[in-house]
Amino acid sequence: MSNMIHIQIDRADGSLQRLIGLVERRGFEIHGMSMTDFHTGMGGDWRTLTLNVASRDGTRCVDNLGRQIDRLFGVRRVEDTASANAA
Amino acid sequence: MTVSTIQMPAHETTAQTGASLVVSTLERMGVDVVFGYPGGAIMPIYDAIAGSGVRHYLCRHEQGAAFAADAYARTSGKVGVCMATSGPGATNLVTGIANAMLDSVPMVCITGNVAQGVMGTDAFQEVDIMGVTMPLVKHSYLVRDAADIPAIIEEAFHIARSGRPGPVLIDLPKDIQFQTTAETRAFHLPNDNAIADSASIRAAADAIRSAKRPIIYIGGGAKISGAVETVREFAAMTGIPQVSTLNALGTIPTGQDNYLGMLGMHGTRAANDAVQASDLLIVVGARFDDRATGKLAEFAPNAGVIHFDVDASEIGKLRAVAVPVVGDLKPNLEALNRELAAGDTINVRDWSDQCRAQMAQCAVDYNAPGDGVFAPALLYQLSEMAGPSFIAACDVGQHQMWVAQHCAFSRPQAHITSGGLGAMGFGLPAGIGAKLADPDACVVTITGDGGVMMNIQELATVNRFKIPLKIVLLDNSRLGMVRQWQEFFFERNFSEIDLSDNPDFVKVAEAFGIEAFRIDHKDQVTDGLKRLLETDGPILAHVIINPEDNVWPLVPPGKNNSEMMEGSR
Repeated sequence: MSNMIHIQIDRADGSLQRLIGLVERRGFEIHGMSMTDFHTGMGGDWRTLTLNVASRDGTRCVDNLGRQIDRLFGVRRVEDTASANAA
Repeated sequence: MTVSTIQMPAHETTAQTGASLVVSTLERMGVDVVFGYPGGAIMPIYDAIAGSGVRHYLCRHEQGAAFAADAYARTSGKVGVCMATSGPGATNLVTGIANAMLDSVPMVCITGNVAQGVMGTDAFQEVDIMGVTMPLVKHSYLVRDAADIPAIIEEAFHIARSGRPGPVLIDLPKDIQFQTTAETRAFHLPNDNAIADSASIRAAADAIRSAKRPIIYIGGGAKISGAVETVREFAAMTGIPQVSTLNALGTIPTGQDNYLGMLGMHGTRAANDAVQASDLLIVVGARFDDRATGKLAEFAPNAGVIHFDVDASEIGKLRAVAVPVVGDLKPNLEALNRELAAGDTINVRDWSDQCRAQMAQCAVDYNAPGDGVFAPALLYQLSEMAGPSFIAACDVGQHQMWVAQHCAFSRPQAHITSGGLGAMGFGLPAGIGAKLADPDACVVTITGDGGVMMNIQELATVNRFKIPLKIVLLDNSRLGMVRQWQEFFFERNFSEIDLSDNPDFVKVAEAFGIEAFRIDHKDQVTDGLKRLLETDGPILAHVIINPEDNVWPLVPPGKNNSEMMEGSR
């Protein structure tokens, strides 16, 4: 089972490394990734990343991963929109 | 989570260098103590710090500086600050940063780095410290413009101490430290210590009223959030038995009625059996650490869980939670106490009687046979003699567990330990940080012959600043905890644990200018502790203990907390 996670994240040094490192360190594989260009708004630039993730051992909960991402500074919003059958 | 929600317009100030802005911002934020070690890439900041209002404590290794800052924060309640140069200076901070992260300690670490123009060229002493520390920090910054320095430092302090505290790294390229700017920017910082909704509080109160065998499982979050008195009120009001994690010792005073002591691998049988038999765990700022739970799948198998925590990502991470209460512990527990006070009285007397009876059976016999020193007895006596101002700054190993089991703590600040990371070498620099934070306290570093050697250079820091730190060095000439595990779980294959070629620690201490003496017989303990506690300056007691003494009780790895092994020594 894989899940799509949409993350709005600020433009800052190391923000992508921090995010992707957290996802892998918390026991998930990234099966796919895309991102938008930067938007300019209140508090500076941000963009949306979409990650297709799956628990490496099938035991980790994507809701908890979402909460762990959400507590990163520079993350504006996290949505777990849909689940899909992984290949 | 976004912090810099509103960026304020830049405003003009007197032109300053980036280095000067670092120091003036620290001063403005009330930072009076910094631990560090200079080097090439941070020289502009050290140039600015000389003669400033910030007292810099030069440690003899950056790891010592980080550990001292950590303990300073734990003791004072302020944000600890340490600084180091690029490359090896920065990487030497890493264990200290990890320690602060795992124990949720507010700390700001300032590193110099090579100039931006040579970043990424493998320049001399260049390390991507931001990349290295990314999994170990709550947040980190690479400063690209000196005008951002005040805002970044303010934001870093806010992040370090708000919500679930943790370390924040600020990496300053050398050209930024030299950059002159008359403009600075500031940020409006929101308060992100959320308070739970009333429905959660009501649900928690209902679950507590329905429970027959509830247990309050207290973690380090209670101290961090300033909720100690509120937790005590909750416990007193309900009569529900309590257990504590290693990092929460002292939240409930040792020996208090209905307090069952520490749970987990080296916890009391009363605490572990009560948790295993409970039908409701009221978890207060704890995180189901494996050293506390034993075999997770069999931990408190019949208990529902109410989980109070400021960190939403801890909810359900390891254990399903029936009633999550997310937000700052103190207001949420206050709300729970009000809700409980307004309803029927909680009556769990039969259950608490049963728990207390079991606790009475856990009394320790300190009359060990033989003439040698029995470390648990010495530590028990030490905390009794030291009195209410006692602070134990522990290293890691068997002695750390003996301190947790046998010292009495009346407040959580009295017990400083590397709980999550278990970093040997913590004890000596932690004692320095704690004593500087609370000069009136009786601060005692309790260390082992393995741990003390990992940061023994900090004896020079003790001597330089004449810090009146007491040091109890329990020497079994072994890596005792590893030896214990090899004895029981590796068929007595004692591999690489022999430290019998240790130096003469009394002579070592004296060479650093510190008074020292030896205790190697139980008859010397009382007088030795008296000398230790009554000496005005720094002093080290080198205590010889039996290499074969073990920490009891013990839950073997992979077993549940009911399967405790017990022994006498």
